Amino acid sequence: MKENLTIALAGNPNSGKTTIYNALTGARQHIGNYPGVTVEKKESVITYNNQQLKIIDLPGTYSLTAYSVEEVVARNVIINEKPDVVVDIIDSSNLERNLYLAVQLMELRIPLVFVFNMKDMAQEMGIKIDIKSLSNLFGVPIVETVGSKGDGVKNILDEAIKAAQVPEIKYPVITYDKVIEKYVNSVEELIKQHSTNIENYNTRWLAVKLLESDKDVMQVVPSPIVAEEVKRAEIDINKMLGDSPETAIASARYGFISGACQECVTTTVEARHNMSDAIDSVLVNRVLGIPIFLGLMYLVFQLTFTLGDPFMGWIEQFFGFLGDKASVLITHDLLRSLVVDGIIGGVGGVIVFLPNIIFLFIAIAILEASGYMARVAFIMDKVMHKIGLHGKSFIPFLIGFGCSVPAIMATRTLDNQRDRILTMLVTPFMSCGARLPIYLLIIPAFFDKNQALVLWVVYLIGIVMAIVIAKILGMTVLKGESAPFVMELPPYRIPTLKGVLMQMWERSWLYLKKAGTIILFVSIVMWALTVFPLFPAEKAAEFEQGLPELEQAAEEKAAELAEIGYVIMTDENMQEAESINSKLTERELAKAEKIAAELDEVNMQIEDINNKVAEAELEYSAAGRIGKFIEPVLAPIGFDWKIGTALIGAFAAKEVFVAQMGIVYSLGEAGEDSEALRDKLRENYSPLVGFAIMVFALLSAPCMATFAIVKRESNSWKWAFFQFFGMTVVAYIVTFIIYQVGRLFI
Amino acid sequence: MSEELTSSLEDYLETIYLIISEKEAVRPKDIAKRLNVSNASVTGALKTLADKGMINYAPYDVITLTNEGRMAAMDVLRRHELLKDFFVKVLGVSVEEADKAACAMEHGISVEIIDKLARFAEFIEICPRGGEEWANGKISHCDKAISLEVCQECISSISDKVHENHSKQLQGGRIVKKLNDVRPGERCKVVKITSKGNLFKRITEMGLTTGTIIEVERVAPLGDPVEMKVKGYHLSLRKDEASKIEVEMI
Repeated sequence: MKENLTIALAGNPNSGKTTIYNALTGARQHIGNYPGVTVEKKESVITYNNQQLKIIDLPGTYSLTAYSVEEVVARNVIINEKPDVVVDIIDSSNLERNLYLAVQLMELRIPLVFVFNMKDMAQEMGIKIDIKSLSNLFGVPIVETVGSKGDGVKNILDEAIKAAQVPEIKYPVITYDKVIEKYVNSVEELIKQHSTNIENYNTRWLAVKLLESDKDVMQVVPSPIVAEEVKRAEIDINKMLGDSPETAIASARYGFISGACQECVTTTVEARHNMSDAIDSVLVNRVLGIPIFLGLMYLVFQLTFTLGDPFMGWIEQFFGFLGDKASVLITHDLLRSLVVDGIIGGVGGVIVFLPNIIFLFIAIAILEASGYMARVAFIMDKVMHKIGLHGKSFIPFLIGFGCSVPAIMATRTLDNQRDRILTMLVTPFMSCGARLPIYLLIIPAFFDKNQALVLWVVYLIGIVMAIVIAKILGMTVLKGESAPFVMELPPYRIPTLKGVLMQMWERSWLYLKKAGTIILFVSIVMWALTVFPLFPAEKAAEFEQGLPELEQAAEEKAAELAEIGYVIMTDENMQEAESINSKLTERELAKAEKIAAELDEVNMQIEDINNKVAEAELEYSAAGRIGKFIEPVLAPIGFDWKIGTALIGAFAAKEVFVAQMGIVYSLGEAGEDSEALRDKLRENYSPLVGFAIMVFALLSAPCMATFAIVKRESNSWKWAFFQFFGMTVVAYIVTFIIYQVGRLFI
Repeated sequence: MSEELTSSLEDYLETIYLIISEKEAVRPKDIAKRLNVSNASVTGALKTLADKGMINYAPYDVITLTNEGRMAAMDVLRRHELLKDFFVKVLGVSVEEADKAACAMEHGISVEIIDKLARFAEFIEICPRGGEEWANGKISHCDKAISLEVCQECISSISDKVHENHSKQLQGGRIVKKLNDVRPGERCKVVKITSKGNLFKRITEMGLTTGTIIEVERVAPLGDPVEMKVKGYHLSLRKDEASKIEVEMI
């Protein structure tokens, strides 16, 4: 008996394969109801009856042609890694289509076990399967299970271990039409004669695949002699059967299946319209479909952001508190700055997205597991297809209005690589919540009368650019057809709490682990950019002339006040201060208030100096220098080095732009409602520049968190950098046009 | 079967078939209106048709075609279409004129002649030196052919094509449509998948092969894609993808 067995799980999407995998391994793995949820290969080693079993979860596929990445992956694992047994999970309620994959596995002549899952569903639909005779017919052991309840799951392992030890494969050979058989034989013969390195393959299988014009197999058998015979076969088969070999072979497989089903499957009730049909007649109804869809999407958006908001607030508060504590504890200036602004700020910047991501993935998991996600694609495809995308791209776009980070994670629901990358690349054009503070600062400063209109125009520019850029990319860099829409609309199912939570947990964890590290790294780099090179002490001293005197004066005045027993009122201590101060005599009070006013004046002077130092420091730093360096480039779009520097800061997070503008205008870290900053903006810039800033901030390089998540989700630095520079170029061009054309009119 | 029917009965049958395919339910007065005859003569003809087992008919109820009736109607319709085609494409007659003539001729003509005419019409259409130009009486290039060999080769390749098309589309008077033209609620059977590459593979692996029965369920709220029932599950396809699938109505 072999000690270590490898068992691979194959099966159609929506066949409950993932549920079975989880039940077998106890691993946390994503369960979905949407075609193509499992894209990565997952493995797990378990011990069963003193035997080590390695279980591989293959991607869900409908067949083993080289049609999609999933299919190629699944096939390569089976052929190259040679698992001891392949377990095919079959949805009993949808037998014929599921058996298509099973028959192809049989053609590979490998040890097999068929699992007829969702036995309960089949029974409900009145489908009776004569398992024994079907098993005899196929020569493959069949196990019946109800994956969601765990029924029969243990039998799978027993049968798999047994099947791995059967010395000889006794499946019937699927025979095709006479003409096809003739060529299968001749091609097989030629393969045997003219090919090397095909030990891994069954030659008959290779021959059939070649006749099906399988591109991958053509590479395995590159012989021109074989290719010639295949070509001849194609012409001949076409002539004799009036169909291409591909169709004829597929038809024969289905013929074999339907023959088997006719013998062994009976349907007792003619259940033409089941529950799922009834739900569909409402949810994708011509009239009600769209309103219901919009309502549900609104809910998804609300769930993600409204529910996430308070948590985000708490997280921000917590990290603020942590930063304050650290500021007090660390005396070394540079170290404090690194810990507070770099590390704590960076970690905070990672965690702060977590509530949104968690809620988004709960929503998506429910949509997928219930089967509605496929309907989203069904409803939205007409619109999305117009811009060269898939119906499923709608959800990332929608989420993009809240935050690009979860939005890009939401592209996981797209199973075609091209569609996924394209959606990822244009999603940040949707104006996210972090850009809002920029608009809120600038719009009241310049466009007091048309606030709503201008805001609307900015959002619209983002949407229009997303469409334009998607079109352009679709025709150039990401040329190639969008995935065929041909898609299963799975029956509606009630999502299980466990499944939803598992998926949520897995994806959130992935975000923390993979994207989090990049975000943390970049945020430290961003910190360094704004701090280094260090502002020379002698230069600082110039600014700080008189500062010691002022500080001393402030101290003295504070001491005087303390002597009198006067407490300066702040927001926190109002009542307390009032009650203490009320005990003073009128004369004492008058004197104290005079001193307090003087103290205020001094403090303002001190703050002014500090702000000037901060400005000078930023100007002196790498960020400031880069800002100045690129000023000539920014001039044609109406920006000076100050805006440039603030925009560099905005890479850390878009809303940082506002604070940075405050610093460069010696106002300290300003908020988006700072009237002082608005005055400065009005003094220095025209409304046109104000508008240009908003457009540039909207369209230019996304924030570092987006950058990190794009790297993670596309699994390549290439796309992350492409997006980074591409968006910046787009932003530059659009802003340039707006500014230059605008100048002609204003 | 059609030998037993008079030409006027065939007209009735054809009309009933056309009305059914347009609006499902047929009432005698629709037929009267369409054929421009009195209600009384319609009633008489319907009784005769019912006696011959061509239709299901009871007074004041809707009329439906029996299986046999549908076959017969489709046969008439096919003869009509083929004749019309011949007149338009080969003889260069106007469509209205051709329609009228086809109406008059469709009843008496034998199946064999019709088939031959059809093949001939197709030949003219397919032949690179035929088509409209040929029909318009212009000189056939064949007369000036460089060598007999070239000419023969050409002709044999065309006859191959005609044979192929004939065997696929004209057997038993089937009506072949593209899947995107099939309306919700209708059932059809796949005749041919004309797409290539990935789309073809995808369509096949999802269970659509020649002979598969499809029931179109609904169109998405925005008009595309389409949802259909295949092999007991629901499948959605874009309309342009569906247009690559030829089906026959059942």
